[in-house]
Amino acid sequence: MTTGSHEPRDDGAAGIDRRDALKLVGGSAIAVALAGCAELLEDEDDAIEDADVPDEPIEAGLQTFLEGAPAVLGVQAEMGAETAVRRINDNGGVAGREIELDVIEEGEEALENYQQFVDDGKDVTFGPISSGNHEAMVPEINAQGVINVATDGTVTTLYEEDHPPEDNTYSFRFQNHDVMEALAAAVEAVEVLGVDEIDTYAGINPGYAFGFDEHEVFSAGIEQLTGAEEVYDGFPDLGADDMSTHIEAVNSEEPDVLFSSCWGGDATLLLEQGHGAGMFDNIELMVGPVLYGSANDLSEGLVDGPIRSGSRNFYWDEPTTDRWSPAADLFEEVVDEYDAVPTAHFMSGYGAVTAWATAAEKAVRLLGRWPEQDELAELLVGHGFHTPAGYHTMADDHQCYSNAHFGELAWSDDLDAAVLENVTVYAPEEVSPPQGKPSLEWIGGW
Amino acid sequence: MIDSFFVHTLNGLWYGFILFMIASGLTIIFGVLGILNLAHGELYALGAFVVFSVVGYATGLVASPEDPVSAVVFGVVVLAAALVAAAVLLPVGAFIEAVFVRPIYEREEVYQLLLTYALLLIFVDVMKFGWGTSPLDAGTYGGLNQIPTTELAGFGYPSYNIVAMLVGLAVFAWLVWFFDRSKTGRIIRATAINRDMATAIGVSTDRTFTLVFAMGAFFAGFGGAMVSIGPQTAFLEMGLDPLILSFVVIVVGGLGSLKGAFVGALLVGVISRWAIWLYPAVELAAPFAVMLAILLVKPEGLFGTWGEIE
Amino acid sequence: MSRLSPLEERDGETVVRVPLTNGLTLTKGQTALTLVGILVLFGLPFLAGIVGLSWGRLFRGLLFGMAAVGLNLLLRHTELVSFGHAAFFGGGAYAVAVLAAHLDVSEGLLLLLAAVIVGTLLAAFIGYFVAGYVDIYFALLTLAFNAVIFATVFRSGFFNYNDGLAVRVGGDNPTLFGLGWTDLGYDLVLYYTTIVLMLVMLLLMWRLVHSPFGRALDAIGQDRTRARFIGIPVERYVWISFTISGLYGAFAGGVYALQRLHVQPEPTLYVFVSGEILFMAILGGFTTLVGPLIGGVLLVYLLEATRFSFYYYHAPIGIILLAIVFFMPKGIMGSLPDILAGLSRRASDPGLLGDDLQTIGSSIRRSLSRATTTVRILVFGVR
Repeated sequence: MTTGSHEPRDDGAAGIDRRDALKLVGGSAIAVALAGCAELLEDEDDAIEDADVPDEPIEAGLQTFLEGAPAVLGVQAEMGAETAVRRINDNGGVAGREIELDVIEEGEEALENYQQFVDDGKDVTFGPISSGNHEAMVPEINAQGVINVATDGTVTTLYEEDHPPEDNTYSFRFQNHDVMEALAAAVEAVEVLGVDEIDTYAGINPGYAFGFDEHEVFSAGIEQLTGAEEVYDGFPDLGADDMSTHIEAVNSEEPDVLFSSCWGGDATLLLEQGHGAGMFDNIELMVGPVLYGSANDLSEGLVDGPIRSGSRNFYWDEPTTDRWSPAADLFEEVVDEYDAVPTAHFMSGYGAVTAWATAAEKAVRLLGRWPEQDELAELLVGHGFHTPAGYHTMADDHQCYSNAHFGELAWSDDLDAAVLENVTVYAPEEVSPPQGKPSLEWIGGW
Repeated sequence: MIDSFFVHTLNGLWYGFILFMIASGLTIIFGVLGILNLAHGELYALGAFVVFSVVGYATGLVASPEDPVSAVVFGVVVLAAALVAAAVLLPVGAFIEAVFVRPIYEREEVYQLLLTYALLLIFVDVMKFGWGTSPLDAGTYGGLNQIPTTELAGFGYPSYNIVAMLVGLAVFAWLVWFFDRSKTGRIIRATAINRDMATAIGVSTDRTFTLVFAMGAFFAGFGGAMVSIGPQTAFLEMGLDPLILSFVVIVVGGLGSLKGAFVGALLVGVISRWAIWLYPAVELAAPFAVMLAILLVKPEGLFGTWGEIE
Repeated sequence: MSRLSPLEERDGETVVRVPLTNGLTLTKGQTALTLVGILVLFGLPFLAGIVGLSWGRLFRGLLFGMAAVGLNLLLRHTELVSFGHAAFFGGGAYAVAVLAAHLDVSEGLLLLLAAVIVGTLLAAFIGYFVAGYVDIYFALLTLAFNAVIFATVFRSGFFNYNDGLAVRVGGDNPTLFGLGWTDLGYDLVLYYTTIVLMLVMLLLMWRLVHSPFGRALDAIGQDRTRARFIGIPVERYVWISFTISGLYGAFAGGVYALQRLHVQPEPTLYVFVSGEILFMAILGGFTTLVGPLIGGVLLVYLLEATRFSFYYYHAPIGIILLAIVFFMPKGIMGSLPDILAGLSRRASDPGLLGDDLQTIGSSIRRSLSRATTTVRILVFGVR
């Protein structure tokens, strides 16, 4: 069912019957709805009906980037979270409780926003996007004891080294750490060009923590796989207004592979100026783990050339919408509601809400009443749930390990939008180190 | 290496011309009115957003560029759209000056900072109301690059950059002509040099100031429009960095000096592009390092002529 | 009048001598306000929640306000506008973070001392270069230094880029006075320690500006050439006042790091933070000692909180600042006496309200005619 050589860990429900589907997703109304198979539902859920659950709605807060350059990612997360909430409320809420979602600009004040959410009596909070902001929040989350499920905030060492499970109770992250996508890019480059064809590589990455991290991981990966030599590494500012210098450097070095973790406006600027300066004639392949995050800002001319993009743990057409109705339904719903193509960050928001909501309902069924924060936090560890992106598990170290998607950037006239073709799906264990193992050490052992 | 040096220098000149276009409005307003307009970056951003809307309409009227002739037509239409977008800023600038700035000329100068900061905040929401929160791409960069320019001389370089440099040069030439030769320009300079004397010989300083502020807003908007039709997108916070860089440019050049702003912009553009090429790590600091070096050596900037446009 | 009594007559008014200030005095009204202010500060952790305000946010506001008090020494007396004071605030904050993250220093007061030392040295270094400059050149030089420091921290692995550094050794809060505290205990002890130090620093600032040194700074602000002529070593004095003003920012930044326990470059070092510190001083009333403190509390509160009430959350802040510019022409604290006097006059003579209405009416008429002129200029140009 996948077009690539790598099977995802779970291949969805293309051919399974209703009972299997119900069992698979946990059987409750919202779990089924969130998995995208609402039509499968038939039984009433008795354990939930009898449970002692308060009447008032669940107050939830989401902080994400709503304005400016990072809104390209942040607004997708907002749409995702809102879509999940809409589906939950249309299906009777979490154990009968509807969710009221407050959405707030993250800005540079994620920690302060979280504190305000707690002061406002939120039952659960979601976000942020920025990894630095997430890092600042984790100790506060554990001090306050109100669960936060981060939508993004994928700094690598956060849950491995800085806040290992024994020090962390209430902070979770729906996305995998960023090692996954950078390594997937390296593997993808080798799959496409072949080991022998890659002698040199270059990087143009945004000049902040995320970009430096991604470049380091990609470099370690591609050098381990091919022995290739780095010929250029440039770090334009985040939100740059000019990348011509870096592009000219790449043009003069003519590397086989160009790696770029630029996103949002930086990604479109790089592609625009790259095309303007003929950069794609001077490289064999460009791999970018988050280029497709700008799907709604790309135009036909920009996706031209040997460019392959990642799409984190979710690409809307993988498994293909022809055969996987949850993905098709979701895509249709997002286009109708927001007039936009969902990207991986859509799933960041959707998955964060889904992780929490399905766990909360599971808790109600087990306890016969609404859970306390600590009970719910305990239940979230090891919690498995479905989204249209497939099956996810919240691992012991409080982050979800999911499939990584990579495909060729192309243009669809039907959709009038950028798409990915020939998508390859990498299972988490292929591109993420085992829990507790530092990434670079693990790559060194390939 | 030599080829690369040439391209990096061209990139620096292009960036410098863009900087000049953004900073020219700031230097006009500062040179004549003595107002440090912190909302300048937002006027620039407003130009970038307005041109997005204007271009969307205007390019619908012409064929998309296929051959050199249609590409040139396309280019002319897009530049006209940029001018229209900048023209929208004229009444905006006049309104701000007449309603908000004029009452506080007599007050301590620091209140101008607080006032223009307040305007900055309000403008952000005006644009958020008008164009939403997501970045917008005018989508004209590829089309502009179809215009034949450097290919004629036998090498490839984005035509948009060439066009932007020519436009920047035209802006500079017009401003020099305006302030040196035109009657209105001379009146403005006279008012800048001595307000009381200007009033005594029958110049309305009120009108002059309104006009100058409107002009400053026009060029801020035009800078934004020229950026927005290029490879960059228009987004809400886009005004912050150009505001700071404009400060750098006009101080490096010497306050109130157009020639200074021009030379300063090109210097900052070229030196910072060279610096990024040779020492990529300095990217974020480069323009400020240039400014520190110049000011510490030449405290008045390159062409210091305080309070007088020349 | 007895020497022990704090009251004395001066210029026909009863004034209160303030202890430890070498004979500085306050009027009765000022004394009452000061006492109320001090009481509010001490009661804040318990009062804030009652009136629905966030104590932590008010605390941060006080800290930024403290940096603004420092900046105001330059602004009010030497008449120099600094666009670079975030360098000292952030410098202090990063001194705390680096010592905790890299050298495992876990005593909060030691960290705070380090913050003050590092930030002050930074101010002395930058002050050495900028002391000879005035006006916008001074402003832009301070901005440039600030920007270079920001860029260095933002792109350096040692400072962990923009992700920043945690002020926790082994995951625990720092100790204060050598003791470990619960989370609430830590916040309270840190707050009260800060408040006491802050009051002392305000008192010292007050003494400083009324000392011969302070008068010399005023002279420099009015006319450098004349100041130099009467024998004031202008550059050296500016340098010293710049360093002192940096010290206040460094202290505030150090406490900020201890309060937030995670330091990132954007909220502490970015040049727009410098701008905000400057705006705090202006809007609070830069002609007063405590105005910048009030300005800090107000601006920080607005910047952090409006987004929870408004979708368009920048404009309300802008409108409030506009209102302050036009209706409180000397900033909040500077205009307070005029406003109070005006209110009490109207209380005793309601007839004045009629005059007010007339004034408002005529000012609206004036602005309308101004607008007409503007339109005429736009249409017909300048003739």
